[in-house]
Amino acid sequence: MDIIVCVKQVVAGDRVKIDPSTYSLVRSAEFSYINPFDLFALEMAVQLKKEHSGSIAVLTMGPKISEEVLWEALALGADRAVLLSDPRFSASDTLATSYVLGMGIRKIGRFDLILCGMRTTDGDTAQVGPQLAEELDLPCINAAEKVEGEKGSFRIERVSDGFREILEVSPPALLTVASKTAVRLPSLIDIQDTFTQYSIDCWNLEDLNADPNKVGRPGSGTWVEGLTPTTQKKSCVFLEGDARQQARTLLSKLIEKNLLS
Amino acid sequence: MARQFAKTELAPIAKEIDEEGRFPWEAVEKMGPLNLFGIQAPRQYGGAETDSISYCLVIEEISRVCASLGLLLAVHNGVVVHPISQFGTDEQKARFLSPLVTGEKIGAFCLTEPNAGSDAMAIESTALREGDSYIVNANKIFVTNGGVADILIIFTSVDPGNVKKGFSAILVERGISGFEVGLLENNCGMRANPVSSIILNDCRLPKTNLLGREGEGFKVAMAALDNGRIGIAAQAVGIAQGALDVSLKYAKERIQFRVHLAQHQAIQLMLADMGTMVEAARLLTLNAAHVKDRGDDLSGPSAMAKLFAGRTASKVASMGVQIHGGYGYSKDYPIERYFRDARATEIYEGTNEIQQIVIARELLKRGED
Repeated sequence: MDIIVCVKQVVAGDRVKIDPSTYSLVRSAEFSYINPFDLFALEMAVQLKKEHSGSIAVLTMGPKISEEVLWEALALGADRAVLLSDPRFSASDTLATSYVLGMGIRKIGRFDLILCGMRTTDGDTAQVGPQLAEELDLPCINAAEKVEGEKGSFRIERVSDGFREILEVSPPALLTVASKTAVRLPSLIDIQDTFTQYSIDCWNLEDLNADPNKVGRPGSGTWVEGLTPTTQKKSCVFLEGDARQQARTLLSKLIEKNLLS
Repeated sequence: MARQFAKTELAPIAKEIDEEGRFPWEAVEKMGPLNLFGIQAPRQYGGAETDSISYCLVIEEISRVCASLGLLLAVHNGVVVHPISQFGTDEQKARFLSPLVTGEKIGAFCLTEPNAGSDAMAIESTALREGDSYIVNANKIFVTNGGVADILIIFTSVDPGNVKKGFSAILVERGISGFEVGLLENNCGMRANPVSSIILNDCRLPKTNLLGREGEGFKVAMAALDNGRIGIAAQAVGIAQGALDVSLKYAKERIQFRVHLAQHQAIQLMLADMGTMVEAARLLTLNAAHVKDRGDDLSGPSAMAKLFAGRTASKVASMGVQIHGGYGYSKDYPIERYFRDARATEIYEGTNEIQQIVIARELLKRGED
């Protein structure tokens, strides 16, 4: 089974810095890591490969620094890594990103499954997976928790609106993954071997034979007009009286705020 | 990986295991599969065979969160696995290295005695030849990992009349007849590491347990310590970085005179000095690692790294306590643990003064340009 896993480098929540002129994220290697939801997707791919053999390619779009997450994915069990990197890709929204990823996947060629994290911890749109499926004209199942099956057909479990759904899909297909598998750490041997045995393919616009009007800002259907930080206001109210009175006040406040319905 | 491991597995227990003086087997067992017990050991025996830079980074990240386990790894890898890899026979490597590297067994290095610390030649332990065996008697103290160690390198003399000539290293396994783990030390820091005394009473050991040749013990000890000091320097850098981490956090939280501590210039000056010292200690340590990887003489650079990093850990932790004020003196905040842990790095694996002797000797040895 040949699987492609799309991953994204995200910046640690407390280290987010925004470039005020472009409203895009400022990335640094030290405080960036692989999007945790993508790790679930990668783990699912590793399990599927264990059961059915085959290969795992990881794919990301981003500046050169995004290589870091590809090395991490290789150490965790991927067999091939591709970085789609070109200054013209910057400022891509989810639509343009899906186009670039789609072109990358066309160049990789053969696959049975594409796995994406359900969402990212930074952009948090949950759009790239489904848009990529559209781009490649593939069936798409979101928030998959479990995948079983052979090459001909996959049985997929997902939880939606309080129901556990079982779906069947024929390959090739795209899944966004929501499983909460415990994520392994690579051993030192895995890390050492990754750097001695693998390299990363880096493809730019020309390598992908991509249309410059479909990438970056020109290819984006949306763009950020403004960005201001929000603050969460918290207030603390002390309840007065003895325990019984305090309990009564608390109860009436909870009812008042409709929190006990 | 090491940073992630420390964050998820060690950070939640670091305070508790220090308070209870408990060796956290549940976390230690998870370190073996990550190759943390054989960081630089040969692949042939299951090690990761990394360079020394990677070794330092691993020890630093573990120590940044839990110095006691940083110490476990620095001693196990630096002064047990390393000298066995360097001086062991093939048979010894197969027998001792393999289980050490997987973490199935834990190593210890036993040099210090009640009357012999910095003055290693004052040891009183003996290994008397008897046929194909040695009869070993020893009273070793301040043995890091002592309470849990399975394979120990014991420094002794095969010639009690002439310790210098007879100075030898012998591999001992826990549990042999006459082997006894003494009381655990009630140390002020590194409390989750079971530092203990080790007593050998008429232990019969085959001559095949000799590490290196008879009389080569000092060479084994010095090679181990030159190497081990890089690990201890990395441990000290980790402690200093950890102390800086918690101090930065506190300075951004605590409000005095209506502003955060971090906005007071007096605090900023301290933080700037702390950050600069940590970075300098780190670079000196990585330089020693680089010198080792290049295959050059390690004594001077590793002694400099250990001296400077140890002092930095103590100084930075002490400044961290100052930033915390009264809370820094309380066990409710982690800085006091860093403060206690840091102090040991100026003492073990060669005190500051021993490092100075080594450094001066190396400097004076150099010819003039």
